[in-house]
Amino acid sequence: MGAAKEEHVCKSQDIPGKKWKFSEILADNKIKERWEKVRKFFFLRESTYDMTNKCNIRCEGCYYYEGEKQFAKENKDIDAWRSLMKAEKKRGITFVVLAGAEPSLVPELCQVCYEEIPLGAVATNGIKFISENTGYKIHISVWGNDKTSHKLRGAKNMLSRQIENYIDDPRAVFVYTFTRNNIDEAREIAEILADKRCRLTFNMFSAPSGYEGELRHNPSSLLHTRETIMDLIAQYPENILYSAYNTAAHTHQTGLHGLYGCSYPRMNPSTDIGLGRSFRQYRTDLTWDRDAACCVPDTDCDDCRHYAAGSAVVTARMFRHAVNPELFKAWLDYVDTYLSVWVTGYEKGKNLCDNLTAPPGFKVF
Amino acid sequence: MSLEIEKIILRVAEVMIDELKLEDVTPERFEPDVDLVDEVGIDSMDLATVALVLQDEYSIRIDEDDYPKLTTVRRIAEYVEKQLNK
Repeated sequence: MGAAKEEHVCKSQDIPGKKWKFSEILADNKIKERWEKVRKFFFLRESTYDMTNKCNIRCEGCYYYEGEKQFAKENKDIDAWRSLMKAEKKRGITFVVLAGAEPSLVPELCQVCYEEIPLGAVATNGIKFISENTGYKIHISVWGNDKTSHKLRGAKNMLSRQIENYIDDPRAVFVYTFTRNNIDEAREIAEILADKRCRLTFNMFSAPSGYEGELRHNPSSLLHTRETIMDLIAQYPENILYSAYNTAAHTHQTGLHGLYGCSYPRMNPSTDIGLGRSFRQYRTDLTWDRDAACCVPDTDCDDCRHYAAGSAVVTARMFRHAVNPELFKAWLDYVDTYLSVWVTGYEKGKNLCDNLTAPPGFKVF
Repeated sequence: MSLEIEKIILRVAEVMIDELKLEDVTPERFEPDVDLVDEVGIDSMDLATVALVLQDEYSIRIDEDDYPKLTTVRRIAEYVEKQLNK
């Protein structure tokens, strides 16, 4: 397992050879309580929407400006968006993710979405404030300290501007994306955000298809990221929305698709049940393409460790985690984290598992 | 229809109603051929929950890859019966 710290590796209390019944796993009160807490949200069914093809900054490795979707003709008609949302609700969509390129530039469209489907999240660079009237979770992207942000994103004083906009805003979650080059800067960022009472979660840079730049992770950077995250979780438990199992899953040398099998339509031809049936990724012209539909289109699937992919590739794999108490606790931590990051008003509980647990069928790294 | 499969259908319906907190329906009145995905609106997480409870109850194994086949209460009951007779 290379350089990962021994004290973080899960010493499973599993009884060798024992086949656990689900009811036996749930006999532990802490597990039962957390299970009942998270299962109330099994009704969430997501789709994602590009809101505009404009952005106020340009970031290296940006997913939006890869592939065909950037060329879709913008539809700014509020009534068309309202009709789309009504239709989405009718086909069972209960959660929306407003993403590319920069939703804060079209606040009236975000508001329409919120009026029709009140659960969701907005992915933003945080430079322009999104009104409290839009009660979605606000995910503010952080790519390093201000020096790194200036280099990669061409914008000055990003973190202070983001904090100024969203300090003490219960909707806000800062999303720190680990690249190969900014791992150590996360400590500085976490300290600043914790000092300002902000919430922070983590994302892993997942290379767009064909990307050959220097941000792509390698085994060494994955391990370094893993250690850093585990330290930060221990240091700032009140501010960091993450768990040991999130860390194990997203910093594993095998990507999410390899570990769990991605259920987004782009990688999943089945339309029988689940995301392969319900998920769509709409472009700014309100069309969608099944062959490109995933949470972050144009990502290289083999390199995907994206935080947004967790809903499909980890959360939805409950069945294969319900084999012993340790693995199920790890999965519950993952789901609890996921809901606290994505659902307004959902508060994360204390992690049940402080150690790195290996994904089912794999080693810990 | 054998007595055994009727009993399993009723039990699957009970589990479904209980676990998914379905309202305004009793096990006896749960239509065994209704499409659970299209008409009841259940998703893979719901199905996984029901499958885990049925696994416990009947001491059988339900394969995750078989989920797409389990689209009605009757099909789930037939699957359970088949596993019991293995």
